[in-house]
Amino acid sequence: MSNAEISAEPPMDEVGALLTRVADKDRAAFTSLYSATAPKLLGVLVRILQNRAEAEDALQDVFIKTWQRAPQFAAQRGSGMGWMVAVTRNHALDRLRARPESRGFHQASDRSGQDPLDTVADGRVSAESTLIAHGEARRVLTCLEELESERAQAVRGAYLAGLSYKELAERHGVALNTMRTWLRRGLLALRECIER
Amino acid sequence: MIDTTGPDDLTPQERDTALAAEYVLGVLPPDEWQAARLRSQTDGAFAALVRDWEAQFSALDAGFAPVEPPEAAFTQIENRLFGAPPARRRGLGFVLAGWRGWAMGGVLAAGVALAVMLVPAGPDPLIARLEADQITFEAVYDGEALQIARLGPPAGAGRDYELWAIGDDGVPRSLGLLRGAESRLNAAVLGAGITLAVSLEPEGGSPGDGPTGPVLAAAVLAARS
Repeated sequence: MSNAEISAEPPMDEVGALLTRVADKDRAAFTSLYSATAPKLLGVLVRILQNRAEAEDALQDVFIKTWQRAPQFAAQRGSGMGWMVAVTRNHALDRLRARPESRGFHQASDRSGQDPLDTVADGRVSAESTLIAHGEARRVLTCLEELESERAQAVRGAYLAGLSYKELAERHGVALNTMRTWLRRGLLALRECIER
Repeated sequence: MIDTTGPDDLTPQERDTALAAEYVLGVLPPDEWQAARLRSQTDGAFAALVRDWEAQFSALDAGFAPVEPPEAAFTQIENRLFGAPPARRRGLGFVLAGWRGWAMGGVLAAGVALAVMLVPAGPDPLIARLEADQITFEAVYDGEALQIARLGPPAGAGRDYELWAIGDDGVPRSLGLLRGAESRLNAAVLGAGITLAVSLEPEGGSPGDGPTGPVLAAAVLAARS
């Protein structure tokens, strides 16, 4: 299957190998790492921050953090790209919280007219392919299927778009505390399934 | 952590498991998110839960579509990390010698080892080491202040060590005097690419705007673990 997201993304171990060299201050590896990962990471930032200029600015911060923190990756191993996306997501969430006001409720629909959850379906398919390609067993995708679909959507929406409880509650038309209780139970069910 | 929304019949372990997931997902309100972040940095068991959820949720990463960055982006990143372009960096003497005709090159050339590694740290302060023939300064920068330890002799009677920061404009700005074995200097504006230099000055520091005495060691501020 050819999928733009798969072909654009190098094998996870390649990114991990580059990160290990970056941890040794290998600047050539850093340049290669940028070529290999920057589009993906900018994609994460654009998705969550919903502001191209801010996302581009944040991309610089992310690579500076990557240069500084690569030794932490080397120490813990795991997926190189997964680590970089996590750094990127966390940085995006930092920036969201640094804004004078929290984001408006209407997000993706303001920009492309596309609801973030629409893309999730494609994400699900290609993620499974990625897993098969790399032989890792991550149960979360199977377990998300098991979870009631509205809860699974909330989890994916939160992860991909950085939705807050406030936004999730508004989106689903329920009180904040109701959303919290509902999602937490879903997360616990997810964890229980993962560890089965 | 106290749940002010009322009892929800979760065990403490369940609550932590859920909290770790909520933290990774980013759904928490700001104050709870800050608290969870702090906990992820200080509580090993909680940090392990967070890492576990991060690993699991990374299965969703394929849902992010790539976006091509602008051409100049990487050059800007390199400049921020590694300092000014080569013509400038090649000679610290070049940068400093222009300062009011004060000639630096000879002093720096005389067998001084230059090795300042300073990381403007986020949550993790990191150690830097500035070595010269007879003296070493170890500095830690946490984003707000420089903590500097001196390994070697004091400046001597009638003298002081003075620390300078030199930015893109080439103008040395004093960060303060280094007295005693430990110093702590407020330095909110440091970042990668800035040159740090220690000079030997008359007691009380340089009488002028810039260094008047010999520079013992200097190098470009760059991120390093």
